[in-house]
Amino acid sequence: MRSSIADQVGYADSTTLRGDVDGHLGDQFPVVPGGEVEAPLRKPRRNSRRSLFASYAITVLALVCLNFFLPRVLPGDPISALIDSASPSYVQSEELRAELEAYYGLDRPLVAQFGDYVGDLATGDLGTSIRYNRPVAELVWERLPWTLLLITTAMILAAVMGWLAGAHSGWRRGRPVDSGLLVVFMGLRSFPGFFLASIALFIFAVQADLVPLSGAQTPFASMGALERVGDIAHHLVLPAFVMALPFAGGQYHLMRASVVTELGADHLELGRAKGLRNRRLKYRYAARNALLPVVTLAAIHFSGAVTTEAIVIETVFAYPGMGRLLFDAVPFRDYPTLQACFLVLGLVVVTGNLLADLLYRRLDPRTRT
Amino acid sequence: MLFVGAVIVLSLLVVALLAPLLAPYDPRLPVGPSLTSPSGDHPLGTNILGQDILSRVIWGARSSLVVALGSTALAISVGALVGMSSGLIGGTADSIAMRVVDICMALPRVPLLVLVAALVGPNRLTLVLLIGFVFFAAPARIFRSQILSVRHRGFVTSAKGFGGGVLYLVRRHLAPAIGPILMSVSVAILGNTVLFAATLAFLGLADPTDVSWGLMLNSALATPGLYFTSAWTWLVLPAGFAITLAVLGFAFLGVGLEPYVNPRWQRSRAS
Repeated sequence: MRSSIADQVGYADSTTLRGDVDGHLGDQFPVVPGGEVEAPLRKPRRNSRRSLFASYAITVLALVCLNFFLPRVLPGDPISALIDSASPSYVQSEELRAELEAYYGLDRPLVAQFGDYVGDLATGDLGTSIRYNRPVAELVWERLPWTLLLITTAMILAAVMGWLAGAHSGWRRGRPVDSGLLVVFMGLRSFPGFFLASIALFIFAVQADLVPLSGAQTPFASMGALERVGDIAHHLVLPAFVMALPFAGGQYHLMRASVVTELGADHLELGRAKGLRNRRLKYRYAARNALLPVVTLAAIHFSGAVTTEAIVIETVFAYPGMGRLLFDAVPFRDYPTLQACFLVLGLVVVTGNLLADLLYRRLDPRTRT
Repeated sequence: MLFVGAVIVLSLLVVALLAPLLAPYDPRLPVGPSLTSPSGDHPLGTNILGQDILSRVIWGARSSLVVALGSTALAISVGALVGMSSGLIGGTADSIAMRVVDICMALPRVPLLVLVAALVGPNRLTLVLLIGFVFFAAPARIFRSQILSVRHRGFVTSAKGFGGGVLYLVRRHLAPAIGPILMSVSVAILGNTVLFAATLAFLGLADPTDVSWGLMLNSALATPGLYFTSAWTWLVLPAGFAITLAVLGFAFLGVGLEPYVNPRWQRSRAS
């Protein structure tokens, strides 16, 4: 059983979907058995940098269009939310509806509305939040840095944890340590983020009282710059760690598989013959070659984290980021905020992917052709 | 692995099917005092409304599996249709279809679903449709590449050379090549949709009258002072572990099926 788990996971990882709900399952998918070698496949035209930018521009355009057309195509619109008696912002009367439609310019032709919409976006106008009665752009500017801070920290933690554990596990392939770590990381990937977050909150914030229960900083406290940084880090550590755990699983499997393929490689034998220490062989020789995929996977995870994990984790920890903004907007039917969150988070994902692609070209000359 | 996964998934199925017989109480009715700790009457305690947690976990299996099976079936059939036809037709249609699939993959899933579900109102049907739509892209790509890899193999070209029509080719050669991969992709997507539906429900995007694991956690975390009473253990843990177990079951099943699906691995094992 032990060796069969050990043998499988490095491989299994490529064909099974990741155990969480991130947005980029496609990137996890493997080359299908049989391979595409025999088929005269046209390569995806991603080669030149111009077409790379073009394909991202198309995605951004799709995001903007979806954001504009979805509320107009689907049943139930912001105005009917105002008229629906179940809504907290209940407004009664059809005349008012017509007035509101005129006020928001919804009685004009669709093309003109779309023009206005794009014009507003270009000037950074995302509308006014129904709940807070403030410009949504302002809210986004307040919230976005927290989300980015949280996710970046989590991704770094995940990469470091996965890298260390994976290298160790691969190095000791088939030993009890290896099987133990495999089971732990596979289990971690199956835990829903909100469940893990709730458990961690209970243990570390309530029982052990090590970290604050919620929020991103101590409110209304006056403190020096250094103290402020410490305070923010203190609030950040638990949510970032919890967010990192499932992603660390992915990094771990990747790292483990690549160290396993390195075992017995000539340069390792030579290093051993030279009398290098085990630790140096493990991390500087065997694990080093896998750094590039670790960076790529971190970038892929980043998009998954932005679209799912961030929302869930921020909700449980009451962390004042974009995810919490989105979550809080739902019961108020705060459509301008919902739409802005969708658009901004989409843009973050697209930008992250673009940066990863560019970075990857720089790191690996073979992808440049 | 296969065995453990199969046992978990089968027991989930049995629990879901026999929910009315297994559950000691009606999951929707208040049947005891609010927030009682686990006891003989209520093995897993009651929630703030006095509903029996064990009964809710049992009925939750049903709603989780219904949503997961429905949306996976949708995702797989749409994905297979798009992927296979795009692989068979090729040319411009193929490029356009794959462009669309790429865009679907790049969309931020949860925010999109939150927006759409807020507009149309979340009920079971819309959730199945939405989740199915969100997950169709990956299978579409897989089926397309599978078709492309088989299309020009010797046995297909010779069958074509003997005058086999498109339907014949699909039935005799292409469908069998898709079969095993279909199974493993379905299992993987099932696990994902269970988790995804639970996440949406946790965020409050579900029919509020539904009994589901995600909703149980949603209302548990909304319980005031949750972390400062021992109620935490029976409000959060049962539903959370139920979701984890289901996801883990499908993950094990997927890993266990691997050798049967992937011929390359079988060869390496035999040698």
